[in-house]
Amino acid sequence: MPAVEGAAPSVDGERIQVEEARARRDSAHDRRFGWLLKLCALLVLAALLGATLVTLTGGWSAFSTYGWHFLVDATWHPDSQHPDDPSTNVFGALVPIVGTLVTSLIALVLAVPFSFGIALFLSEVAPRWLRTPVTSAIELLAGIPSIIFGMWGLLIFAPFFQAHAKPWIDSHLGVDPDTNQPSWIAAHIPLVGKLLEDTRPFGGSVLTAGIVLAIMILPFISSVMREVFQTVPTRLKESAYALGSSTWEVAWDIMLPYTRAAVIGGIFLGLGRALGETMAVTLIIGNSMDLSPSLLDQGATISSTIANQFSEAAGLQKSSLMALAFLLFVVTFIVLLIARLMLRRLAAKEGN
Amino acid sequence: MHTGSETAVGLDKSLPSAPLAPTKLEVRDLNFYYNGYHALKNISMDIPEKKVTAIIGPSGCGKSTLLRIFNRIYAIYPKLEAKGSIVLDGENILGPGYSMNRLRSKVGMVFQKPVPFPMTIFENVAYGIRHHEKLSKADMESRVEQALRSAALWDEVKDKLKQSALGLSGGQQQRLCIARGIALKPEVLLLDEPTSALDPIATSRIEQLVEELKGEYTIVIVTHNMQQAARVSDLTAFMYMGELIEFDRTEKIFTKPGKKQTEDYITGRFG
Repeated sequence: MPAVEGAAPSVDGERIQVEEARARRDSAHDRRFGWLLKLCALLVLAALLGATLVTLTGGWSAFSTYGWHFLVDATWHPDSQHPDDPSTNVFGALVPIVGTLVTSLIALVLAVPFSFGIALFLSEVAPRWLRTPVTSAIELLAGIPSIIFGMWGLLIFAPFFQAHAKPWIDSHLGVDPDTNQPSWIAAHIPLVGKLLEDTRPFGGSVLTAGIVLAIMILPFISSVMREVFQTVPTRLKESAYALGSSTWEVAWDIMLPYTRAAVIGGIFLGLGRALGETMAVTLIIGNSMDLSPSLLDQGATISSTIANQFSEAAGLQKSSLMALAFLLFVVTFIVLLIARLMLRRLAAKEGN
Repeated sequence: MHTGSETAVGLDKSLPSAPLAPTKLEVRDLNFYYNGYHALKNISMDIPEKKVTAIIGPSGCGKSTLLRIFNRIYAIYPKLEAKGSIVLDGENILGPGYSMNRLRSKVGMVFQKPVPFPMTIFENVAYGIRHHEKLSKADMESRVEQALRSAALWDEVKDKLKQSALGLSGGQQQRLCIARGIALKPEVLLLDEPTSALDPIATSRIEQLVEELKGEYTIVIVTHNMQQAARVSDLTAFMYMGELIEFDRTEKIFTKPGKKQTEDYITGRFG
């Protein structure tokens, strides 16, 4: 482009000035944007810290009244006439803690293998035309509100379980409640008889709550598994097939180790949901505050106890419920910690 | 277009009167269909034992497809169909009763990109052996060492057998994949563009390795690198548009090819 000799420097200088101003503006923008992002992240931390502090201070009078007994005591005895009297109000968190852990464990034991099967079917075996409808069905399952699961569990599944599954369990795995005659399994394998003792004529129990929980967390675990199975490189699978592996061997030896971190992440996502799930469990579990070793007995979880009693609680009972909420934080935290440690140990075993 | 028998006759004419070696894989009238698309057309060729056979041709000519039929790895996908016969040791591997497990212990494969399994170096090699044989710990160790030595990798990894294979360099990973393949003591080794993801030094190590391995294995190598085919192979097959155009001794293909298309391709006029 033809330019006048003398004018060139001033045009250049102008351009430099514009560029410098732009650079200054950009760095100011970047700094402000950085702060904004930091604020978002801090907000999460603040919410977490706030919730922890509120439950801790709310439960403080229970913790200070009962001390460590609160964790190991199985009594839950409120006195609504004198809610602040520690001699008549006795609270211990053992029943809800055990209930929470046991229901979640049942849910995991049932949901993980099923999810693995579903995910494997969808990513490896299913014909293409079947993949989309099944995947959408599973995603829909994840979208069903928990109160609906609770209603289904209370009105349909628990009575069905009571009428059809329980008699079978009594005669084949547990102890017959009428004759007190233990089944072969209960007689020969210790603890099974106690675990499956049938003392009350209800369908709602720790076991039924666990089964419903399993159905609720199934979509979360299987979606995560399906998604990460699809990230396994074709060449990796083909290499294993080329060595003579079967589909099962490719899945178990190659795909699962390759996606291990994400799969464990998915399982713990499901576990996290199972630990905190409130509505469905509250409706099904029976909310009994008596400690029983039997899975066929009613029980309570931390969240079901809070949901059930919070509106009418006062004084020490209210504080005990706050303390329970704090313990749910602690339990979840410990579970996540265990997950981290497991991942680290697995990685060490694999040679990383 | 040739019919199957014509191709076979033409092939016999173009091959030297005294064959290089007894035939290991006898391919006859092989046709391959992918979702109804006719990907390989009437391929017939005799792959000699304990020699290196290179398959060259432009992208999409069907050379990898052909290789993937030799161990039937295509069969893990639906809607793929191979017709014709491939006779290995007197049996048609495309026959309905042929055991996949047996085929894959006889025919090993190494892929384009190095794909170590997410396990230790030792386990990577031992993994395939476990599918076919029950070995004691000591036997397994010596077998793994032997495979790693044959793949010219032992000296580099012998002190870190318990470490993850993912920590090796690309060239080392590819040699590990070769070790994994030969650990099963296959008779045929299929190499699908084994150096396309490697640097020149790692490539020349793999080529050297192919040279060393051909005393023991029948090797079929697919490559898009014509110099590589010229360097490592005894026979070269040129494919174009799903057809086998020419199959002959490598020096003949590269010095005085019999077909115009072959000449055009190796002189770089297309492809």
